[in-house]
Amino acid sequence: MTELYKKLEKIVSKTYISNDIYVRHAYSRNVDIVLQGVPDIVIRPKDAKEISEILKVANEENIPVIPRGGGDCEFGGSKPINDEGIVLDLKRMDNILNLDQENLIVTLESGISWGKLNEYLCHYGLYTGCMGPGSGMTASIGGGISHQSVGGGGCAKYGSCTNQLVSLEVVLPTGDIIETGSQANKFSKFPFNRFGNGPDLAGLFCGDNGIFGVKTKISLKVFPKPEYADYKTFLLPRKSAESAAQIMMEIRRKGIDVYDTMFITDVVVELGSKQGFFPLWEHIKKKKGMLFYIIEANSEAELRENVKALDDIILSKKSEYLGPEISDGNIAKWHYTEQGHWQFYHNLWGMFPSMQPLSAECFCPIHMFPQVVRDVDQWDIEHNEEMQKIFNITKIRPISGSGPIPLVDGNNVEVTAGFLSFWKYYEGELYEIIQETNLKLWKSLIKLLVKYGLQYYMMGEFMSRLMVEIGAYSEEYYNFMKSIKKILDPKMILSRGKYNFWEGEKI
Amino acid sequence: MSELKHLKEHWKDIFSCMGCGDCGYAIRPAVERYLVCPVKEAKGEEGFEITFSRGRMNVLKSILVGQIPLSKELAEWAYECSECGSCTEVCHMTHNENIALPTCNWIDHVQVWEALRKDLVDAGFAPLERHSNLIDYMNQDDMKNPYGEEKTKKFDWTKGISGLKEKGEFVFFGGCTMPLRQSETLKNMVKILQSAGKEIAISKDEWCCGSIALRIGDNQSLLKSIRHNIEEFKSMGAKVVFTACAGCYRTWKKDYPELLGEELPFEIKHITEVLIELLNNKQIPFQTQEEISKKVTYHDPCHLGRHMDLFEIPREVILKIPDIELVEMRRNRKNAWCCGAGGGVKSQYPELALEIAKERVNEAIESGAEILTTSCPFCIGNLKDAYDDMGPEIQGKIQVIDLLDLIASKL
Repeated sequence: MTELYKKLEKIVSKTYISNDIYVRHAYSRNVDIVLQGVPDIVIRPKDAKEISEILKVANEENIPVIPRGGGDCEFGGSKPINDEGIVLDLKRMDNILNLDQENLIVTLESGISWGKLNEYLCHYGLYTGCMGPGSGMTASIGGGISHQSVGGGGCAKYGSCTNQLVSLEVVLPTGDIIETGSQANKFSKFPFNRFGNGPDLAGLFCGDNGIFGVKTKISLKVFPKPEYADYKTFLLPRKSAESAAQIMMEIRRKGIDVYDTMFITDVVVELGSKQGFFPLWEHIKKKKGMLFYIIEANSEAELRENVKALDDIILSKKSEYLGPEISDGNIAKWHYTEQGHWQFYHNLWGMFPSMQPLSAECFCPIHMFPQVVRDVDQWDIEHNEEMQKIFNITKIRPISGSGPIPLVDGNNVEVTAGFLSFWKYYEGELYEIIQETNLKLWKSLIKLLVKYGLQYYMMGEFMSRLMVEIGAYSEEYYNFMKSIKKILDPKMILSRGKYNFWEGEKI
Repeated sequence: MSELKHLKEHWKDIFSCMGCGDCGYAIRPAVERYLVCPVKEAKGEEGFEITFSRGRMNVLKSILVGQIPLSKELAEWAYECSECGSCTEVCHMTHNENIALPTCNWIDHVQVWEALRKDLVDAGFAPLERHSNLIDYMNQDDMKNPYGEEKTKKFDWTKGISGLKEKGEFVFFGGCTMPLRQSETLKNMVKILQSAGKEIAISKDEWCCGSIALRIGDNQSLLKSIRHNIEEFKSMGAKVVFTACAGCYRTWKKDYPELLGEELPFEIKHITEVLIELLNNKQIPFQTQEEISKKVTYHDPCHLGRHMDLFEIPREVILKIPDIELVEMRRNRKNAWCCGAGGGVKSQYPELALEIAKERVNEAIESGAEILTTSCPFCIGNLKDAYDDMGPEIQGKIQVIDLLDLIASKL
């Protein structure tokens, strides 16, 4: 046992630390099998104080630390970038600390999942509004804040989960513990507002992809769940992406406070139906893009009025209403009433054995997404030769396109564009050519999309480094980010390797 | 390094797992899903990722690509799983028949864990010590049961019962646990069936069904036992073979045909399938009529429910018992919480099995039930052990009773 291990064990006790080879490999991947990094040690701390002590030791010993919530990043965000370092598994910190029913603010430990938190809140008639990412049954609130997560429901109305943030307790990379927002004032009795007391330093940690600090305690605004809701699904006409974009823009122009609106692309509908994942759409002859909405209201009259306004917009685009029941094709009902929002993206996972999405999740202005979808199709044609290399082994060609596209607050959508491909292990053999081709194609596609100016938010290892590698950041912005990192984390302990800070320099 | 023959056969399962983690954390109140893995939860704060499916799948990915080897240490992790299949349900289920998930085409976690166990056995890292003893007993000619009891003792429970036949179309397979540990329940079963006019044949030379060896991954000598049992019942003239053990039922009905690659020459039924026919025909003569009905909750045994899709028939049976009100636990049917005894956990890690069962007993109390019943001797045994360990405060709130004993008390 190394001196480092002994020091760490003293902090958390032997029950919560492991350097067992199998435990380490269990933490070596996220929702992604292409990217892997095996930690030296895994620790399950119980609170900010322990994390602070761990980070101090890591600084003394110059060993990187990577925080991990639900482990649901698709771009290697919560695993080591190389085979080294300490993974901080924050899932032990999953308690709800306080529900302030007067001010509608919940305070919790950062490792709790969206599912667990919302189960607790529903007993009080409350919910989180934005329900986190599509993997919200497992994904943690801390991870959501670190990634500006959307996609697990409610993001048209509430936007990214960071919109609800009131205050954060953060352990800085050097071990100092700070609180933000109203809690920056040491006399404040309880969290009530994010802004004020100087600059919005909570914002520094929103979407930081775990580089500026370890979030340990989070206060979020919560909302009464409206008593009334309706949900409808429509089959779009030809050129479905263009129709969907027009509908979404019209909804925004008319100021309808829709809870969710999602465009399900032609490729998802066609492929999913072909593979038998959507029995609810079996009866539809022409498999084309779909669009659904979910609208909430506080009275029947309000609901009726909004439903009519939405129906008018959507039906004017030659869309076809599929009917009220899930069996009629109304996937929106499943999404809202059965909390299918936390499984919505699973239809892209494991479509064929060893197949996984090599994509990137970004915010995109509504009017631009049809062009993005078209260009992904064009990119696919242009890279047919490389795709064939994979096909020659697997006999199934990689599939390009975008996953479901939800409306986000403001005039944005979330686009998950990329391709589904295979991992290098196929039918008992290892094919390095698949891995090489995957990485080459993945980079090529993301380079294309970055040049639209799209905003990536869940960046992890892959996207954060690629953005730097292809020179997407303005020099001034990148240097500013790097300066902050240098002040907060001079030894680059936390999430070492992301954004390529100090690449090639001695740490 | 081991050849990994069995794991390689399941590469599709292993590499179709993307690692979303719902197999460890899923909570989705709209469809009554409240957590998934009983082992992970019983481990509490000690629950590193390797205690549940996602972490285990990651380890298997690394093993298959040659990064890490099999070992005795891995076997210790591997045998902590009760193979309840709850992770598979979450992985496959959208909770709506109109929407399917791709993973349902490829991933069967229980089969993967069993493949791992077989490879561990092949590589000499398993069975673990206590499991090894069970299999030795099971294979010994003078025992043929995993309890290490003399072969003849398995049939002691039939002494004094008249009317049991040596041959017939309706043949009972006793298994090992009930005859050797819960014989009163078997006597009650005969009482019920005979009161309904059923003629039962019983073999005096049945061997252990082999469930334990299968779950442990050591099936080397199993084919001999399977063939023996089939021949034995064939020679008795069986058309229906029934059992009151959920583990035996799964083994006979699912595993035997798969292992042999052929259909069995008779039909296999669980006792609840027999009972429902009798109840529907009003053949069971209930006597007692209490004024106040008792609230009963039903625990779904994994080998009966998730493994064999037998969820409703036991409930239909309960609903037909007089003066009984069926109430459901928060987690039931496909979402049911395992009792913790399966997959060899009870024999190798009894404390872990007990912790899991305590959670289930508490859940039964929360349902408002006065009686917790089920139809599996492993579940009953483990739930009763937990109940006995939980002290008088709990014991005053609920009773744990086998479904057969509950019915017999009404005759």
